[in-house]
Amino acid sequence: MRVLVAEDEPRLTLQLERALAAAGYAVDTAYDGDRAHQLGEAEDYDAVVLDLGLPRLDGVSVLRRWRAAGRTMPVLVLTARDGWSEKVAGLDAGADDYVTKPFNTEELLARLRALIRRAAGQADPVVRVGAVVLDPRGATVTRDGEAVPLTAHEYRVLAYLMLHKGKVVSRAELTEHVYTQDFDRDSNTLEVFVGRLRRKLGAGLIETVRGLGYRVPEA
Amino acid sequence: MSGGTGAASLQRRVLLGAVLWIGLALAAGGWVLVELFRDHVEAQAEARLVTAMDQLIAALAVAGDGTVAVAPPPADPRFRQPFSGLYWQVGEAAAPLARSRSLWDAVLPLPADEVADGALRLHRLPGPRGAALLTAERMVRLPQRADALRVAVAEDAAATEAAVGRFTRDLSVAFAVLGRALGLAAAAQGTAVLRPLARLRRRVLAVRQGAAERLDGRFPAEVAPLVDDLNALLEHDRDTVARARRQAGDLAHGLKTPLAIIAAEADALTAAGHAEAAGILRQQVEAMRRQVEANLARARAAASRDLPGARAPVAAALEPLARAIGRLHGREVTLDLPAGLAFRGDAQDLQEMAGVLIDNAAKWASGRVTVTARGDGAEVVVIIDDDGPGLPPDQREAVFRRGARLDEAVPGSGLGLSIARDVAELYGGSVSLEDGNGGACRAVLRLPCAVAGP
Repeated sequence: MRVLVAEDEPRLTLQLERALAAAGYAVDTAYDGDRAHQLGEAEDYDAVVLDLGLPRLDGVSVLRRWRAAGRTMPVLVLTARDGWSEKVAGLDAGADDYVTKPFNTEELLARLRALIRRAAGQADPVVRVGAVVLDPRGATVTRDGEAVPLTAHEYRVLAYLMLHKGKVVSRAELTEHVYTQDFDRDSNTLEVFVGRLRRKLGAGLIETVRGLGYRVPEA
Repeated sequence: MSGGTGAASLQRRVLLGAVLWIGLALAAGGWVLVELFRDHVEAQAEARLVTAMDQLIAALAVAGDGTVAVAPPPADPRFRQPFSGLYWQVGEAAAPLARSRSLWDAVLPLPADEVADGALRLHRLPGPRGAALLTAERMVRLPQRADALRVAVAEDAAATEAAVGRFTRDLSVAFAVLGRALGLAAAAQGTAVLRPLARLRRRVLAVRQGAAERLDGRFPAEVAPLVDDLNALLEHDRDTVARARRQAGDLAHGLKTPLAIIAAEADALTAAGHAEAAGILRQQVEAMRRQVEANLARARAAASRDLPGARAPVAAALEPLARAIGRLHGREVTLDLPAGLAFRGDAQDLQEMAGVLIDNAAKWASGRVTVTARGDGAEVVVIIDDDGPGLPPDQREAVFRRGARLDEAVPGSGLGLSIARDVAELYGGSVSLEDGNGGACRAVLRLPCAVAGP
């Protein structure tokens, strides 16, 4: 699960980055509208936290450009201006939800989870495949009711595959959603993570579709 | 704005001045005309007297014994008719030598002073039966007599006076008609001259009622600069209010990000096991957020409230709002907003108040929210119905308390309703919760209406 945080206040960005990383997300950051726009165009994010008061290019414009270019990732707007006129501007530009500053970190994470779930077509907050249960609320995974400790990267690989269960996910797509933008990507490492996940959760959970990628079965 | 009722009305001043001047001019003109007419009539009378006197002198004859006779007597029959008003007399008043028959037993009371021979004198003398006589007299020296004879012809002045009186009466009537016509003309002119001011007043009223943003129309050169100044003033007011609103917003915005940092830090502290300290921080952040939001909303509304020309079309403000809120909550928001209905205030404030109520309705609705607006006299009434479970009457006031939240599970700051009510009341309006359809909740927002545009 990969998220872009576009916020110009460095301290707040750092706090969001930490909270999101702790919740199992790979986090990219942008400090201005131009950079946010570029990243959103070029990279595949599962969700974006977008501050409306960005320098250089304001959040509403960034959002409008993404939507005009066909970028459909869920966007959670973060705004210091809590007036309805600002919210309406953000929602009209294509935002999926909004949170006003100051916000409760838990609430922001919950809204973000709901957006990602909705975008993946999931109704249940918890994803089950066989005996394996993934709960994004605590970034926890259990097998037969017992907690299975995973590293951040392993969790992201599993979460992305399970949220898109039943679909074939290519290595490239998986790479896009697991690593942050500045991470040194190596597709071998992806295979290492999948191997470890199979060891911890059972070999049948993640299927390899030859030449196409990986798939987690529907049930 | 206070009415400038201290000074007298311009119209009355113009009219009063006109009437005074017309009156004075007509009176002076009338007096001059009457005097000229009198001079003319008297000159005619004198001419008649002198002619009659010349005839009389020509007819004077002195007999051998020195007695005076008039032969033939002057032709005018009035000299023979007693007290006819036309008289002649020869000799001193004390002992007249000859008199017209018309004098009967009376005597012209001529003064007995010395007058040079041949000199003509005119008098006004009392005549028989109290009449005033216009008299011409001359001293004539005849060859048969050693002394000069005083010869006088007199005519009753009443005829002249009557002519002057008639003239004066006729003239007064004519001048009265003229004066009235001039007065009416002055009044009409005053009204015409002042009409642009009446028009200006209507335009200013339109601006105050929110029907227009500025004073439109062409005004005469004397009034146009005033109109331009007023428009500049309105423009300046609007700029000032917009700046004040922007600054209030910027201030709030500037405070919110640091508050967000503190709040996030509190959340991080909780995660690190310092729940108590984090709780205090969060409480204070929440208190500050409420302060900022409540004061921002109030400051914005207070700045816009008295702004002349403020006008926010209801449909244009509520349509995007309802669309966004509907999408946000996954509810159907049905609108019934008449075109042309406008709130006398700022569009953003209308969105804030309605946004809180529609958002609240959408949270509690089971599927549908209906927003209806209509004009009710001087008010715009926005009615928001949901199909939710409703709210018991005894809890309706409680939700307007600052920080009140009926259900902690439904997100919301709890500040919204109290702010919406504050802002509505600043505009002289109100917010209330009432019984809706089938036990559901109905929110009613009443605000001042902007009158229809020109």
